[in-house]
Amino acid sequence: MPAFEFPGGIYPPERKARSNQSKLQVAALPAQVTLPLKQHAGNAATPCVAMGDSVKVGSLIAQRDGMISAPLHASVSGTVTQISNTAITIESDGLDNWQRLPPLDWRAASPATLLERLDSSGLTGLGGAGFPTYIKAQVAEHHAIDTLVVNAAECEPYITADDLTLRSYPADVLEGAQLIARLCGVQTIVIGIEDNKPEAISALEHALPQAQHPAAIVLKVIETRYPSGGERQLIKKVLNRDVPSGGLPADVGTLCHNPGTLLAALHAVRDGKPLVERIVTLTGEAVSTPGNYWVRLGTSVASLLDGVGLMPGQLHQVIVGGPMMGTPLATLDTPVTKTTNCLIAATLAELPPAPIESPCIRCSACESVCPAQLLPQQLHWYARAENDSTLETLNLFDCIECGACSFVCPSFIPLVKDYRLAKQRIRMKQIETAKSDHAKHRFEFRQARLAREDAEKQARRQARLAQTQKPSTSTAGDHATPEVDLRSLRIAQTAAKAAVKKAEKVLARAAEQDPKQRFDDLETQLATAQENLKAAEARLASARENAIQKDTP
Amino acid sequence: MSMMHAAQVGAAPSTAHLMRWVIVATLPGIAAMTFYFGLGVISNVLLAGLFALGAEALIVALRQRPVRPALRDSSALLTGVLLGASLPPASPWWLIAVGVMAAVVVAKQLYGGLGHNPFNPAMVGYALLLVSLPTYMTLWSPPQALTAESLFNQTLWAQIIGSLPPATLDALSGATPLDAFKHKGEAVLASEFWASQPLPEGTLSAWRNVAFAWLIGGLVLIAKRIISWHIPIAMLGSMMLLATLFYASDPSHFASPLFHLLTGATLFGAFFIATDPVSAATSQRGKLIYGAGIGALVMIIRTFGGYPDAVAFAVLLMNLCVPLLDIYTVPRPSGHANTATHSAPKEPL
Repeated sequence: MPAFEFPGGIYPPERKARSNQSKLQVAALPAQVTLPLKQHAGNAATPCVAMGDSVKVGSLIAQRDGMISAPLHASVSGTVTQISNTAITIESDGLDNWQRLPPLDWRAASPATLLERLDSSGLTGLGGAGFPTYIKAQVAEHHAIDTLVVNAAECEPYITADDLTLRSYPADVLEGAQLIARLCGVQTIVIGIEDNKPEAISALEHALPQAQHPAAIVLKVIETRYPSGGERQLIKKVLNRDVPSGGLPADVGTLCHNPGTLLAALHAVRDGKPLVERIVTLTGEAVSTPGNYWVRLGTSVASLLDGVGLMPGQLHQVIVGGPMMGTPLATLDTPVTKTTNCLIAATLAELPPAPIESPCIRCSACESVCPAQLLPQQLHWYARAENDSTLETLNLFDCIECGACSFVCPSFIPLVKDYRLAKQRIRMKQIETAKSDHAKHRFEFRQARLAREDAEKQARRQARLAQTQKPSTSTAGDHATPEVDLRSLRIAQTAAKAAVKKAEKVLARAAEQDPKQRFDDLETQLATAQENLKAAEARLASARENAIQKDTP
Repeated sequence: MSMMHAAQVGAAPSTAHLMRWVIVATLPGIAAMTFYFGLGVISNVLLAGLFALGAEALIVALRQRPVRPALRDSSALLTGVLLGASLPPASPWWLIAVGVMAAVVVAKQLYGGLGHNPFNPAMVGYALLLVSLPTYMTLWSPPQALTAESLFNQTLWAQIIGSLPPATLDALSGATPLDAFKHKGEAVLASEFWASQPLPEGTLSAWRNVAFAWLIGGLVLIAKRIISWHIPIAMLGSMMLLATLFYASDPSHFASPLFHLLTGATLFGAFFIATDPVSAATSQRGKLIYGAGIGALVMIIRTFGGYPDAVAFAVLLMNLCVPLLDIYTVPRPSGHANTATHSAPKEPL
């Protein structure tokens, strides 16, 4: 048992029994799927099919755009009927014809081949953020990773998708973990799982002896407490490592994946199956046959819930994800995406709206449950007062938005909503500042370019003048060339050189820290420095020319 | 936005729920006081509670805020109950009214209402009365049997007409143990003082039993997680530490730690007054410092100051320190470790 604790945490009612009683099932093949182009962090994918194209399951229909992005594959066979800016719609022919990639043996394949496969399979994290899996694997190139943490905590109420994944495919999940371990050079795999999933735990225990190398696997059963499934909280709990603020698990030698992602990774490599379906928990009091289902991506929520006996009269709201961090759906005409792990069709009695907010009485209940050890009530006051600088001193951006504070607040203050609004406001401000800075830097660059051109023109003129004056050296050309201080020009040139070096260094460091970002602004600043250097060099050269001429009459 | 909130679970109570639980927890204390000091205690509490609700309704209406939610959260009622419980039994009705006005109108609503008052409202009312009307505030009757005669002839009638005939005043007034000890005189040794039996029969045991009743209520609050242990433990701890130091240095002049613990408003203050969340420090470290500060101030004022009991002043003084405490006791968030590098797990995997 783990000896480490993350601070805070709450014990919300689990409500998992509704969906974890039945075996994993397969949802009916949808007649039509709508596949959003952006189902992951980063840029939306770019369509690469045309209207009317016929596709098979697994056909590539959109390519990734930029570093953080993922390609998209058809999840049913049939005809492409619509391509919009945001989604591709495919009408199913009901045949379910597959097009797979060639199977790979992950033990034999090179890391580059494996990375390429994860990328081309459109694999993203199947938890919440939807971070492309191959990027996570690439992190190993910059960081020494020694431990892969399998995040099987699944701490949110209602959700049992990972539970059923582990119960149904324990050996495959472990093999998927070994695959990622080999790819990233990980020596140890630690599975963190809450103790409210005894069947998944025993399934894993049975599968463990057969799990082949390269990495040793440790099963850690942890106490059921929300939010132990938060990446930072789980890493603290099973490894006692503190992921630094603003940092990544990789900074403490750790990589985190959930079981669904590992299973999908194995399917992509071993079976050549792109990411076209996932396991989704369908639950809530308003459906009659709750459970976990293999669902094709792009299936509409409405048809999916109809398939499990939705009682429209009872339905109050549908929540995507868990009740703590999920979002209510405005319309059921929404497709299942790579990050949809749970749909809760809740009745009014089940998840009633929060009572009317009353004033904060500073009871600090929020503070005692905050897993990030922030001061939620102070953040609340400063967020309402829009005191952004204090919010940043109080580390607003360390908030993981787990909702534990809102959950215990006796005044029913929607704390997390306040923080999200404040974060958004601060981000907008930062973008505005960056924009105006960039505009300023572009102006400076233009000035520098003009100055450089001017200096070069001067130099050329000087050279021409010297040429014409050469034959008649005795006629005093002193007044034609003004006295120039060579020494100060040399100093200016050295300073410009240093400025260029510094700008280069800043850009390189920024790019190293955050390889996926664009650095237009820093590049402009570097170009400005380079222009300044050129100008200084031109001035110095022409002045030297002058001086030589004067010295050699 | 998080969808699962406290109400649907019943685990985390609402603000009104918290307030009502504190009121429930005062019942043992009030019952014990009534048993020893007469029905005047109950009439005090009832009158103060009633006045508090009235004052709250009036001022909230004047401030053009919704009245019903303000009354429903029971915070004004709680202030009234706490103030009523700390006044001498059968205080004149106008005295209670003045205290309640100071507490609810000035200390609470004029600062912005629930959640915004920097000072503990009940203690502001109490301190105001203690400073301006000391004769009335020291009218603690000696323990007496609950008889109809004593009840009507003396206490309640006096409360209703709002003044006391001098003869009754004499008959009623009695020193509290803290008061008596405080004014024993420098030359009198503690042992001589106790030997002279300065208090009416049963006074000490009455105060002790009342203190135990408040303790029971306080433990209920901690068990129900309405209050955290930090403030009461820190306050009692620092009081006991100082009292022990004083007592050990000169037992002939200083009272024993147990005497300080079981007389006056020590336990009532520790569990019901100092723990008011609105005017107390918020972080756990802050609460420990806040509680310890109150305890130390209580001991210092009791020992060297002009008032026999000092809980109200100590609480108000520490209320003043809360903004500073809140700034300097911000906990270090996770992931902001002093050392950026990670240490290898100590437990074998």
